[in-house]
Amino acid sequence: MVERALATLAAFAALAFGTAIAAGLPGLAPKLLPPEQAFRFSARVLDPATIEARFDVADGYYLYRDKLHFTAEPVQVRSVDLPRGQRKHDEFFGDVETYRGAVTVRLPLASPASGKNVVVRAESQGCADAGVCYPPNPQELTLAVPANGAKPGPFVEAAPKGPFR
Amino acid sequence: MSSEPVAPAIGAPHSPKRRRLLLIAAAVVGAAALGGGIALYQRGETAPPRDGSAILALVLPDVDGRQQPLSQWRGKVLVVNFWATWCAPCREEMPHFIAAQARDGPKGLQFVGIAVVQVDKVREFAQEIRLNYPALIGGLGAIELSKALGNDLAALPFTIILDRSGSVVHTQLGPLKPAQLDALLDRLLASP
Repeated sequence: MVERALATLAAFAALAFGTAIAAGLPGLAPKLLPPEQAFRFSARVLDPATIEARFDVADGYYLYRDKLHFTAEPVQVRSVDLPRGQRKHDEFFGDVETYRGAVTVRLPLASPASGKNVVVRAESQGCADAGVCYPPNPQELTLAVPANGAKPGPFVEAAPKGPFR
Repeated sequence: MSSEPVAPAIGAPHSPKRRRLLLIAAAVVGAAALGGGIALYQRGETAPPRDGSAILALVLPDVDGRQQPLSQWRGKVLVVNFWATWCAPCREEMPHFIAAQARDGPKGLQFVGIAVVQVDKVREFAQEIRLNYPALIGGLGAIELSKALGNDLAALPFTIILDRSGSVVHTQLGPLKPAQLDALLDRLLASP
């Protein structure tokens, strides 16, 4: 029956429309992500004495530069040279810098970690443009540094939190 | 969906064309409502636990280290706001809370802030914005507390509003719109 088909079609179209409203109407936020999905942490071995940490910040979210910290074990991170972020004015803190999209940070180690498993820990803090902020979020991952060879290794993602870790 | 008109219409019987339009209109309204519902849900207006006794049972230190039981505000319209100094959207909505507390405090309105940061940060900020309601110190443990109270994402600001009987009437993740908040508070303060 034409009428029924039309009604079904209309329902689907309207559903899509409704979903679009849900996603885009001003004042109504799209679904908020849990922090470990909004701020995905990964890292790789660049060479036995250097790790490259990376954050992939989801669209509509940002991280604070001065709230980003890295540590490693059993070999320490020597120094962290964070890239410049985007300037953002904050009434309370003054000018602050934020990161959006992908941000990579080189972590030079105090000594080569050849043949070791290095635990890399990141603490980050960020917000969503929708108007919420997440508390400082510690994440960690383990990198196996090869005993020899200087080629960059693959990126390893931080394990998701939860009971199935 | 059935081919019967979903909504009773004025002036039956309808021409097939009119019926079709009605069907489309009903589908659009239904889906928009669904979308709106989803959006509201995703915004964080989660179905609140009706009973606010878990909140009223809290005892937390204020900026001077004195233990403050929330039960002291039983019988008032209570707005419990989880916030932090590192949360810009939290700080942005607090001046409105201060104004509402000053205006409606005598009518039985009580704001209580639960800070997810250390006491020195709270004290400094409270002085700067002339906070006129208690700032209790929850530390990072307050995040877990807010999770237990329905803040699944552990994000801020998170606000719980209790009526005079101690029932949770609203929970909100993200800032409260000033007009929306005022309307709700007016309604709650008007009822005994």
